[in-house]
Amino acid sequence: MAKARVLDRRRKSIRSIRKITRTMELISTARFKRAMDRASAATAYTNRITKVVRDLARAGLEVSHPLLEPRPEIRRAAVLVLSANRGMCGGYNGNVFRLGRRRLEEIRGQIDAVRLEVSGKRGISAFRFRKTTPDASYTQFEDRPTFEEVDVLATRYLEEFETGQIDQLDVVYTKFESLSRQQAVVETLLPLAGLDGAGEEDETGEGIQYDLLPSAESILDDIVPTSFKVKLFKCFLDAAVSEQIARMMAMKAATENADSMIDHLSMAYNRARQGQITADLLEVISGAEALNG
Amino acid sequence: MANLQCIVVTPETTLRDTPAEFVALTLYDGEVGIAPGHTPLIGRLGAGEMRITQDGKTERYYVESGFVEVLNNTVSVLTSRAVPADRIDEAAAVEQLDTARSRPANTPELMAIRDRSVAQGRAQLRVARRSHS
Repeated sequence: MAKARVLDRRRKSIRSIRKITRTMELISTARFKRAMDRASAATAYTNRITKVVRDLARAGLEVSHPLLEPRPEIRRAAVLVLSANRGMCGGYNGNVFRLGRRRLEEIRGQIDAVRLEVSGKRGISAFRFRKTTPDASYTQFEDRPTFEEVDVLATRYLEEFETGQIDQLDVVYTKFESLSRQQAVVETLLPLAGLDGAGEEDETGEGIQYDLLPSAESILDDIVPTSFKVKLFKCFLDAAVSEQIARMMAMKAATENADSMIDHLSMAYNRARQGQITADLLEVISGAEALNG
Repeated sequence: MANLQCIVVTPETTLRDTPAEFVALTLYDGEVGIAPGHTPLIGRLGAGEMRITQDGKTERYYVESGFVEVLNNTVSVLTSRAVPADRIDEAAAVEQLDTARSRPANTPELMAIRDRSVAQGRAQLRVARRSHS
């Protein structure tokens, strides 16, 4: 009976693993929906900012701002890598980490003063394992990063950029493109590549005369930092959404694998049990035969 | 007369999208009142109070920086933070004011940062205290 019992025990343990992975899949599905809602709310905000910029440009305003101008020489740079606090999400953390490391080495080859900042426990430990200690690390961003938290970071980056402590900021994160496609990307957020909506021409041809209070320059002074903050916030939201999708997929695959393993084990168990019974029967019959004979 | 449509958006959520009769906002350098038929306007918001009047009732919010756009009787308020006046955390505002006051301000940039923080703290307290009285 030994073999059948071992198989049965394995089957039980796989069943309980399946229960766990199935639950995790459901949890990340719920979290994904919530994260997705937040991302679309942020998109509504971004669209309106874009519209204001377009209206400003339409009103004949030259868009120029210190944050938009690339520095002639980059002496100090910062790289921010967004990973997850938790594992069990397939290649999500690995992809971001690999890309971040490659980017870091690329910049380190050109300049010395590069600061590495990592968000998420997984990324921090991955960098530590490679003997690269991040200069700053954050673990407070879970699946619902709030604007307030990101704002603190964004304000600091802005201050550092303005005072010349950094000349460039790269963010490595997983961009959410569609449900079936998320990709680890590097984006240079400082200096800003440009304001969305600034270069677009007015198709209707009729410019609306806006009252600009207090003045166009003053509005621009505020709108450029704001759009940087929102962009950074969007990176965090994208990363959160992608993480949940990655976990959903990984856990779905794990559940399916557990299912097929249970099938295999069940079959092997039944066969072993049947074999055992046959052997027992044969023993009984041959014993009876021996007595009769 | 046509009513205003008042939309308040923060990066996290669309706070409200409702009709209104009158909206008052604190701009960077003073208050502006918007009634139906207002001329197109783009304004930079300062820290302060936003009042939305509808059916004789006035709702009050604390708004911290951002923009307002008025076009075709639609008032779009884009702000990083909007809190209903009766839900302002007064203790936190006092704390912000205190830490802001004790910040070093030995360069123009730092002074600007400090001033902004002080103004935000004061405005929060002002809005919060008005709702008590």
